[in-house]
Amino acid sequence: MLTVYLQALISGLLIGGVFSLIAVGLTLTFGVMKIKNFAHGDFLIVGMYFAFFCHLLLGIDPYLSALLGIPLFFGLGWIIQNYLINPVLSAPETIKILITVGISLCLQNIAVFLFSPDFQRVQVEYGTATFDLFGASVSITRLIATSIAVFIVVALYIFLMKTSIGRAIRACAEERDGALAVGVNVDRIYLIALGIATSCVCIAGALMTPFYTISPTVGVSFTLTAFVVVVLGGLGNLKGALVGGFIIGVVESFGEILMPEAALKQVATFAIFILILLFRPNGLFGTKLA
Amino acid sequence: MGRSVGFAIYGVIGLICIGLPFFAESDVVVAVMPPGLSGSTLLHIGILIFLFGYLATSWNVLGGFCGQLSLGHAAFFAIGAYTSSLLYIHFGLTPWVGMLAGAAVAAVVGYGLGYVSFKYGLKGPFFALVTIAFAEILRLLMLYWDFTGGPLGLLIPLTEDSWSDMQFMAKEPYYYMAFGLMIFGILATAKIGSSRFGYYLRAIRESEEAAEALGIHSMRNKMHAAAISAAMTALGGTFYAQYTQYIVPDDVVKIALSIEIILFAVIGGSGLVMGPVVGAFILVPIGEMTRVIFSTAATGVSFVALVNSDIPAVEKFAKYLDYLASGGGGGLALLLYGAILIFVCLVMPRGVLPALKSLQSWGKKS
Amino acid sequence: MSDFILEATNISKRFGGLVAVKEASISVKRGDIVGLIGPNGAGKTTFFNMLSGFMPADTGEIFFKGKKINGMRPSNICKLGMTRTFQIVKPFPELTVLENVMIGAFNTTSSTTDAKKIAMEVLNLVGYASYADMSAGSLTVAGRKRVEVAKALATKPELMLLDEVLAGLTPTEMWSMIDVLGKVRDQGVTVLIVEHVMAVIMNLCDQVFVLNYGEKIAEGTPAEVSENPKVLEAYLGDDYGKPASGAN
Ligand SMILES: Nc1ncnc2c1ncn2[C@@H]1O[C@H](COP(=O)(O)OP(=O)(O)OP(=O)(O)O)[C@@H](O)[C@H]1O
Ligand SMILES: [Mg+2]
Repeated sequence: MLTVYLQALISGLLIGGVFSLIAVGLTLTFGVMKIKNFAHGDFLIVGMYFAFFCHLLLGIDPYLSALLGIPLFFGLGWIIQNYLINPVLSAPETIKILITVGISLCLQNIAVFLFSPDFQRVQVEYGTATFDLFGASVSITRLIATSIAVFIVVALYIFLMKTSIGRAIRACAEERDGALAVGVNVDRIYLIALGIATSCVCIAGALMTPFYTISPTVGVSFTLTAFVVVVLGGLGNLKGALVGGFIIGVVESFGEILMPEAALKQVATFAIFILILLFRPNGLFGTKLA
Repeated sequence: MGRSVGFAIYGVIGLICIGLPFFAESDVVVAVMPPGLSGSTLLHIGILIFLFGYLATSWNVLGGFCGQLSLGHAAFFAIGAYTSSLLYIHFGLTPWVGMLAGAAVAAVVGYGLGYVSFKYGLKGPFFALVTIAFAEILRLLMLYWDFTGGPLGLLIPLTEDSWSDMQFMAKEPYYYMAFGLMIFGILATAKIGSSRFGYYLRAIRESEEAAEALGIHSMRNKMHAAAISAAMTALGGTFYAQYTQYIVPDDVVKIALSIEIILFAVIGGSGLVMGPVVGAFILVPIGEMTRVIFSTAATGVSFVALVNSDIPAVEKFAKYLDYLASGGGGGLALLLYGAILIFVCLVMPRGVLPALKSLQSWGKKS
Repeated sequence: MSDFILEATNISKRFGGLVAVKEASISVKRGDIVGLIGPNGAGKTTFFNMLSGFMPADTGEIFFKGKKINGMRPSNICKLGMTRTFQIVKPFPELTVLENVMIGAFNTTSSTTDAKKIAMEVLNLVGYASYADMSAGSLTVAGRKRVEVAKALATKPELMLLDEVLAGLTPTEMWSMIDVLGKVRDQGVTVLIVEHVMAVIMNLCDQVFVLNYGEKIAEGTPAEVSENPKVLEAYLGDDYGKPASGAN
């Protein structure tokens, strides 16, 4: 019995880092642009299909594609921010949300159109490799994904704290007008911020391909997860997103084993989501960026 | 002056709608419309326009008038569809009564969902997230429960043409029922819009604090809006169940349905009585046209099979282009909807209807 | 029943480490115009927020028309007959001026026709009827302040709490607003007003309360208060004696 709980804990931690990486992108968007990006999870499929085709057509390993794709991922975020989000920044809240819903619809259905709604897998030899830890099995691909994810989150944190661009991003998050007044090019900072945010999700997507099936609509549930992590960790709080990702990962996998019916696993997840949204609107760690 | 022009346009379109079944198969229509778009297909599109116009109108009470962005209205649609169908299958209760039962259940659920969300002060994106999560829970439960038929859903036992069972072989009765539903939605929201309740909802949308200061119990009014909107949506669900005679969770509670509902409202003009209907009249034909055009051209090439096939790369690529030209894996209708939504957000954030109106008054001035 | 329409005793509000209002008491006589003054950040708006139900008071009791209203929601307090305006005005921007005022008017009627009638009367009273069809979002500051007062007035209150309705107005606009306030009093409405413009307080108020750092430091007629050494001290170095902080 104990191994069941240990297994749940480990599985939760192994997906937690990926949740963190995805949520960090969302929390950055939230904190800096005050945009609630309902298309956030859908960028996952950009990374996934990128890795899929790199592997299929060129035989490139998914971990390498995650690296190679960064200019593409960053550019996509940049373009979307420039042409779609920046123009509506002063629009009513509903419009800001709905434009991201529109982006979500487009991303999903471009993928349906181009790659069909069918499921795909990236077949790598090490895909199912595991090792044993106190009787629980640890998937190597998940361990790698989570480790890289945490590494990226920490690197991003250092970037935000130590570099001048990072400081400018934080200045925009805290006090947009103040940043404007001291000569920060706010619009440009926003482009960089969404570029970073989409890169985070896309990389997460690529990292997941060795153990996760790809389809145009997988992003939706990750949008929801990311929002819950962000709410839990504090809107716009990077550390909160990192810790929150692991908490949600573990809570989700415990919810799943405690649920008597396998078919209802996900119900537990969504129910937890609703409870968190209801009871933790200010987050565990406050709402300051970084 | 502007008003009467508007009424005249609506009147003419209404009359065309009423008359459509009489000339849907006439030579003129067959000649004018693209191939495959006449007769019962045309009526089917009409039914979808009316149904979605009605659903978007129902959403408008909560999302438009009251400004509470629900992204889970498919849940109420499903509650309507399942309640009436279950009552009919198990107790032989006529869908006409089952419809009201479904509306009542949806109203209670909507009220409860509103109570929980608004009590904890959920607004904007967070309310939207809770409604999505709620709809997803409902979908998963319906997939799991036996009494809802699980993933196989419910099949409504066929009878012959019967008004009391709300079942017909022909499309015309459904067509007029859907039309009636839409007219009911328009009249109901027009009535709400011009009543004290409607003013209260708009006040809450614009500023909840200011509304409270003026004696408006914001929480109670929002909950009422949620209940009414849910109940109206459920009526549409029953109609859909009777029309298709077969419902499955993945059709009636999917997120895409919730999103389509708000798309029509927002693109047409949310918060306006006719906005959602205008949205449906513009978008549904575009979407259906896309589907019809590409389904006739479909080559049946499977993307997965193509990817895994062993033919040379050049040939593979050529085949892939064929595949795209025939509509690819689908999704073009929703892709168009998404693009139009983005366009509307950028260019006419209040929706098409207000844009048309200002165009009209601008035309008059110059 | 006492002749005080509003009595608040020892009410306080704390924000983290900051005590914004500290055990302050106030009583307002029916039919009076009562001023609540104090330097910036003295806690006047916070005081209003507690009276009108927008923030719970940490300590103390609030009685309106002899009924304890602690913990009641703002809408119910409004239904009882007390309305407020907001220092940072909160119009319904997408609605017209008339519709804005109608929302208030619905407090006493459920008929749209009646509400329209009441709203037009109020707009005539505040001299803004010609703007009825403008959208409230497109008004100037002065216009918004007027609509703010009109909305509140349309609820037919017995007591109105006005939070700096004169700030940011030009002298002409200000005097016409003061004129409106006189008319409001003539209708028998009791007014509790927060204002920095001393001339208004002196000319209009029957009674004045002074807050400083959340504490009530003086009360009395305008003449008494203006001679109170504590009050002078509180305002020294501040903008005391200048005609208006926001109006110049
Ligand atoms: N919601 C809040 N949270 C934290 N502190 C607050 C809050 N509202 C007010 N304060 C603080 O309480 C103190 C009193 O503020 P308040 O707005 O009541 O003053 P005021 O007398 O209305 O000032 P002014 O003349 O500038 O309008 C201020 O120091 C303010 O910063
Ligand atoms: Mg104040």
